[in-house]
Amino acid sequence: MEVNRRDFLKVLGIGGAATLTSCSAQPPEKLIPYLIPVEEIIPGKATWYATVCRECPAGCGMLVRTLEGRAVKVEGNPDHPVNRGRLCARGQASLQGLYNPDRIRQPLLKDASGSFKSVSWEEAEAWLAGRLAELRQRGKGSGIAWLTPHTTGTLDQLIDRWLQALGSKRRLRYEPFAYEPIKSANRLAFGLEAIPTYDLESSEVIIAFGSDFLETWISPVMYAREFAAMRTYEHGRMGRLIFIGPRLSLTAANADQWVSVPPGTEGVVALGMVRVIVTEGLSKAVPKGKVDSIKSVVNRYTPQFVSKATGVEPEQLERLARRFAQANPGLALGGGTAVSGQEATSTLVAVNLLNYVTGNVGETVLFGPLSTLSRLSTYREMVALIAAMQRGQVSSLFFSEVNPAFTLPKAAGFEQALEKVPLVVSCSSFMDETTAKANLVLPTHTPLESWGDHEPWEGMHGLMQPAMQPVFQTRSLGDLLLSLAKRLGDAPAAVFKEENFYEFLRARWRELHQRVRPDVEFEAFWVEALRRGGEFKELPARRVRLNVGALPQALKGLELPGQAGSLILLPYPSINHFDGRGANKSWLQELPDPMTQLTWDSWLEVHPEDAKRLAIGEGDLVVVKSSHGEIKLPAHLYPGLKRGVVAVPIGQGHTAYGRYADPHHPNALDTRVKERGANPLTLLAPEPDSRSGGLLWLSARVTLTKTGTKYLLASVSGSDRQHNRGIAQVIPLEEITRGGQEAGHPTKKDHPVRQMYPPHEHPIYRWGMVIDLNSCIGCSACVVACYAENNVPVVGKEEVARGREASWIRIERFAEGPPDRPETRFLPMLCQHCDAAPCEPVCPVYATVHNSEGLNIQVYNRCVGTRYCSNNCPYMVRRFNWFTYEWPEPLHLQLNPDVTVREKGVMEKCTFCLQRITDGKARAKEEGRPVRDGEIVPACAQACPTRAIVFGDLKDPESEVSRLSRSPRRYRIFEQLNTQPAITYLKKIVPGPKEI
Amino acid sequence: MKTTLIAFLKGAWLGPVKTTLVALLGGALSLGQLPFSRMPRFSGTLEQPVTMNHKIHAGDYQMPCLYCHANARRSTVAGIPSVQFCMGCHKITGLALPTVQKLKGYWDRKEPIPWVKVFYQPDFVHFSHVAHVRVGVTCQTCHGPVQTMDRFPNRVFITMDQCVACHRQQQASIDCVMCHK
Repeated sequence: MEVNRRDFLKVLGIGGAATLTSCSAQPPEKLIPYLIPVEEIIPGKATWYATVCRECPAGCGMLVRTLEGRAVKVEGNPDHPVNRGRLCARGQASLQGLYNPDRIRQPLLKDASGSFKSVSWEEAEAWLAGRLAELRQRGKGSGIAWLTPHTTGTLDQLIDRWLQALGSKRRLRYEPFAYEPIKSANRLAFGLEAIPTYDLESSEVIIAFGSDFLETWISPVMYAREFAAMRTYEHGRMGRLIFIGPRLSLTAANADQWVSVPPGTEGVVALGMVRVIVTEGLSKAVPKGKVDSIKSVVNRYTPQFVSKATGVEPEQLERLARRFAQANPGLALGGGTAVSGQEATSTLVAVNLLNYVTGNVGETVLFGPLSTLSRLSTYREMVALIAAMQRGQVSSLFFSEVNPAFTLPKAAGFEQALEKVPLVVSCSSFMDETTAKANLVLPTHTPLESWGDHEPWEGMHGLMQPAMQPVFQTRSLGDLLLSLAKRLGDAPAAVFKEENFYEFLRARWRELHQRVRPDVEFEAFWVEALRRGGEFKELPARRVRLNVGALPQALKGLELPGQAGSLILLPYPSINHFDGRGANKSWLQELPDPMTQLTWDSWLEVHPEDAKRLAIGEGDLVVVKSSHGEIKLPAHLYPGLKRGVVAVPIGQGHTAYGRYADPHHPNALDTRVKERGANPLTLLAPEPDSRSGGLLWLSARVTLTKTGTKYLLASVSGSDRQHNRGIAQVIPLEEITRGGQEAGHPTKKDHPVRQMYPPHEHPIYRWGMVIDLNSCIGCSACVVACYAENNVPVVGKEEVARGREASWIRIERFAEGPPDRPETRFLPMLCQHCDAAPCEPVCPVYATVHNSEGLNIQVYNRCVGTRYCSNNCPYMVRRFNWFTYEWPEPLHLQLNPDVTVREKGVMEKCTFCLQRITDGKARAKEEGRPVRDGEIVPACAQACPTRAIVFGDLKDPESEVSRLSRSPRRYRIFEQLNTQPAITYLKKIVPGPKEI
Repeated sequence: MKTTLIAFLKGAWLGPVKTTLVALLGGALSLGQLPFSRMPRFSGTLEQPVTMNHKIHAGDYQMPCLYCHANARRSTVAGIPSVQFCMGCHKITGLALPTVQKLKGYWDRKEPIPWVKVFYQPDFVHFSHVAHVRVGVTCQTCHGPVQTMDRFPNRVFITMDQCVACHRQQQASIDCVMCHK
């Protein structure tokens, strides 16, 4: 039928009006004011609180951004000496612990049938006090045991005194990674059973014997910053890292050289180096008498002997030793699961000796301030506790935030021993495997809701304060203990004067105040400590002497290398999940492992040659069996391994712990995929190492059996190789040094600019970014920070497998060179905000346009979802919302109100944290000045521990970003496509062939 | 068969019925293109829990807007004064009036007053009050002559054309991301 245009539009209009009136009414929104306003809150403006991150023992200082009493983002505290303003991926994800939908919300008591029922706090406490009183009456007070993670300061003291008041001394500070071999090696060599301060920043050459210090080892954020600082090319020199170990970990990938040796032989390499150094007279600061004694101890470790045992060529060993001896200064680090077999202590004594003969002890290895990790209980003590539990000597076991049912080897028998304990009380926040076995669960506050303090290194007292009111009906652990003591009356009540933990904390800080600042009023001291985030004092190093006489005995066990035969299993701590505690956070599950680029899983890394021999392909599900158990894992071909070693990341394989960790949880994100890796710790031997008391991480020898089924591995990587695309570029050190630091690459010319359209005008600001690939270590803190800041959704394993992950910034990992000795390059990739953006001209509705400050902006409400822009983007940085993603309550409380939450059908991408730019400009306008350089920091740049990302105004020639974008190392990605990105990358500096 | 159908459609018989049917069809088609598809749709009159009369406060007593809505000069959000703030005056003034008694009731019960929102912008618009107050935009420009209003008549959608018109006139930025973040 023929309809003219006017009638057609009339019909549409009437039709539209018809539906408007016929639509059902929605109730109007309410505006709820304060009853009594809080003085320090201005609605719409953020209030920041300083506290301490407790996602791992490192104890970085943290600033929490709160809006209207809700924590929405965490960042590092610039005043804290450990992390100096930066935070790792796990620290950024701590908000998902606070708002976790599977958090235990009120006390739970197990009834006769074995299921938990909710009870009130009054009921729970009364019940527990009754049981404790009963125990004390029967004289079983001494059988009460407390298991905590690494706890220091006030809470540590409180728990000890509480236990003592009840008549017990059974206290264990249990961490799966307790660094026992480092302590025993230091005891044998230097007489001090402690973990020292390692000065990476001052070192010129660092040799790491298996220690993954950029991932989880001791204090990764601190070491990452120091590592990047020592690698900055300055005044003709640049620091170097050599990694010696069986696996190409993230830390090894950032090394200039990875020396692959069979596990357990690292100590042989170290002694070989010592021998070269002392025989060639290269030792430093060692008295002559000692040199001769050392010579006799290491005499048998000739370069040929070392070569036979480890595969390291004699010339390579000599070169390494000489370079290390020349270093001004050097530093040898050792420790970590990769070196923790039977030879762990001997290996680390060898590393100590290497440091000693090169004069590093007292220079870069400083026994002061000591790490408080030195106070951790050993695995041997855990085994003793299990034995006591088995014998019925433990009348009651209390624990908080530890999960030994997951992190101990199954053969250690923790779960069976737990059945023998009549009263098991969990004070944890999550229903993990161990808490599920408790009789009573008393959920305590997460660290973001708690008062407290934490001292990661002697003298560094970080002060914790609650960033918001408790989300659920949980209680402070300190308050709980004090209340229980009061209920028990007589001796326990008399021990504590304070009513609550806050007063107890202040009382202890009064003591500190007297010690450090008696000249000021306590209240002024207290408020300043709260503002700054703690009280930090630099403690001096103790002097130590090498016990040469102990060396022959201490170095025993290094004569024989590892046996050939079955495969050695290397479980390694995961940068996402640490020891498994991060597995309940969806951001960490969706975060790709930087080295394998796999998400939502754990896997078995097998060398391609070994895999070929066993006829195992990528993604094949295999049964991994040791003499203590078996697990099923998908195989992932990984060339960064020594032949004969298979590796599994620790952290997955939960059977409880919430919907993100446990794939069989009723509310799990993926409905069809029911696998999430497996726990390698179940395969380990239960006996502790006789010399250090630690867990024998390398004790499992495994066989692999194919099951014949394939497994879905959700990888975000398209290709491991660049195929000559020139995405992540490097520049040899010689080229920088040849013409002096200021000279550019001889033929460096910026790509000519050709434009079809008139150039953009930038009247006031032009935002740009510089990313230094020499500093980027691939830790992915920026990725999680972006998720937190910009309400980026988590899509789940099935969708990631379809390539629909939503991350606005991603870390690309490329390998160059031979497959088993690759040069690894990390590259943060985000929207380049191109001046001649290919995405802008193709949008049919002008939803993506260029603004006057140089940003490529996406207007969500205009977007109709053609996805043409994403198709046109050569950097693949545009993300489409295929669904309206959900934030299960209370995760929605974490959403940043300054950023729109996108729904289905809308394209999104990095905005250079537009909300922060607007906020920065508004603040500057308020104060009547232009924006200062460094004032506006996007979330990724703020998080980066190595300061690889710099943001600022390109129109200001003196800004840091302008200065860096003139660097001789500058380049842009895909320059030949003429997109003119606003992000300049700086090439990674690599050693030339003559180095090392 | 086909020609008969077309003839029927073209013909005048049952004209109004056909128009209505096509209108409904057109309506169904245009459903997907509705603007503000996430905006609430309302019906009925606006009933506030306490009938606060702006004409008395802002008109007769000439109280400045920023006296109560103080955060408009500090923050993106102007906000509603807290119950404590209202009681600051009303624990003494006008206590005999039934409306003030209602207000006092909320205070005594320690219950914040659930005001009904009047001025709406969609979720994806980020408006900053302080930016506008600072350059001298009067509250009445967007909120109307509040000092003459006994009660707000109905919900008000402040639409983009109003914003852009004023921005163009005042030569403020019309960059999309000023408001759409």
